[in-house]
Amino acid sequence: MSENILKELCNRLLSLFKQTETKEENAKDVACNRLRVVLMQDRTNLTPELLQRMRKELVELLSKYVEMDKDALELNFDQEGDQMALMLSIPVIRAKDEEEIEKALAKADEKEAEEDDASDEEIGEREEANEAEDDEETSEENDETEEDNSEEVTEEEPEIVEAEEEEKPKKKEDKE
Amino acid sequence: MTGRVIVITSGKGGVGKTTTNANIGTALARAGNKVVMIDTDLGLRNLDLLLGLENRIVYTIVDVVEERCKLKQALVKDKKNPNLCLLAAAQTRDKTAVTEEQLKDICEKLQKDFDFILVDCPAGIEQGFQNAVAGASEAIVVTTPEMSAVRDADRIIGLLEAKEEIKSYKLLINRVRPNLIKSNDMMSVEDVVEILSAELIGIIPEDTGIITSTNKGEPIVNDDKSLAGMAYRNVAQRIMGEDVPFLNLEEETSVVAKVKKFFSNLIGKEK
Repeated sequence: MSENILKELCNRLLSLFKQTETKEENAKDVACNRLRVVLMQDRTNLTPELLQRMRKELVELLSKYVEMDKDALELNFDQEGDQMALMLSIPVIRAKDEEEIEKALAKADEKEAEEDDASDEEIGEREEANEAEDDEETSEENDETEEDNSEEVTEEEPEIVEAEEEEKPKKKEDKE
Repeated sequence: MTGRVIVITSGKGGVGKTTTNANIGTALARAGNKVVMIDTDLGLRNLDLLLGLENRIVYTIVDVVEERCKLKQALVKDKKNPNLCLLAAAQTRDKTAVTEEQLKDICEKLQKDFDFILVDCPAGIEQGFQNAVAGASEAIVVTTPEMSAVRDADRIIGLLEAKEEIKSYKLLINRVRPNLIKSNDMMSVEDVVEILSAELIGIIPEDTGIITSTNKGEPIVNDDKSLAGMAYRNVAQRIMGEDVPFLNLEEETSVVAKVKKFFSNLIGKEK
């Protein structure tokens, strides 16, 4: 009899310990946390592709300044009351020294400049042809570019590219 | 008079929209209101079954829209309560048979003769949902403390907030199981309310009586002993603007737990 009681006592004590051990990760908390994450994504209207792109761009931007573990990047949305926050967590492998940062920045600038050149070349030919007209109508045309764009969108695709890029050089001219 | 048009919706299927509709409608009618329930789940009607009116349907909402009968002819009176009517869905047609405009029109006409128009919404967020919501100015979002139901409810709340006609929406949490919540195996009512940040209008405990009441075609609010029935009657009173405290479901289980403990102690001592 007394053995039985002792056994039961032991079992009860053990089960008590088991309960306290598993308490941290109970089904309710798991459900709440998973739901919060999933709802944040649902509410942002960001598709998985867009999220992937955002991650990629963030990695590109940040790796100019620090070397980090790109695969361990965590991107979450969090909510406190009505306020939504973007939580980004990336383990930093190593801090970059000044030289490296400058190099990375210079490289990025070069890349940007190349892209600008490419678009400038495309427009260059066209600008020469229109130069005379442009000089007279710059101020007026700037007001109308938006309307022009919308009209051209419906007509032909190649023209859209030109129309969108038209704005850039003109803004530069204005500044000068 | 102008009656209040309330749509009962959930997004996810099987969380108890139709049961909620039948019970709130019956409870409102028992409290002396003139109530009409509209089943908009074309092709998958069930509200008639829960009310035990399946054999009395002559005309449906599609017959009204296609002018084969007058609106009043299509209203089926409840067996017990003359204040309660049902406008049934057509079983042989699909969601396209009635448009948003037509439903809005029907609701407007019914507002003149009834205090409450309860619209039973089909599951999903497609045209059926859009139709059901079209004529309503209030909504009750039904959910359960399960992840998929809460997620779908969040979607529905987003869609309702985008609708200008919907002036207010409230949350009804169905199938609450106090035992599971107590053991931290299920999300609590507070968790769900916090996650959805919506105002609560009712907490309905899981009740096996719902199954038998459905089988009999008799809403559980007519059973004065049932806890779920009491919870539904409370919801009806809150809709009518009364301040009724929520049932304390945890206390209920702690009594059961106490009894269990008492007996297990007794047995333990006998050994």
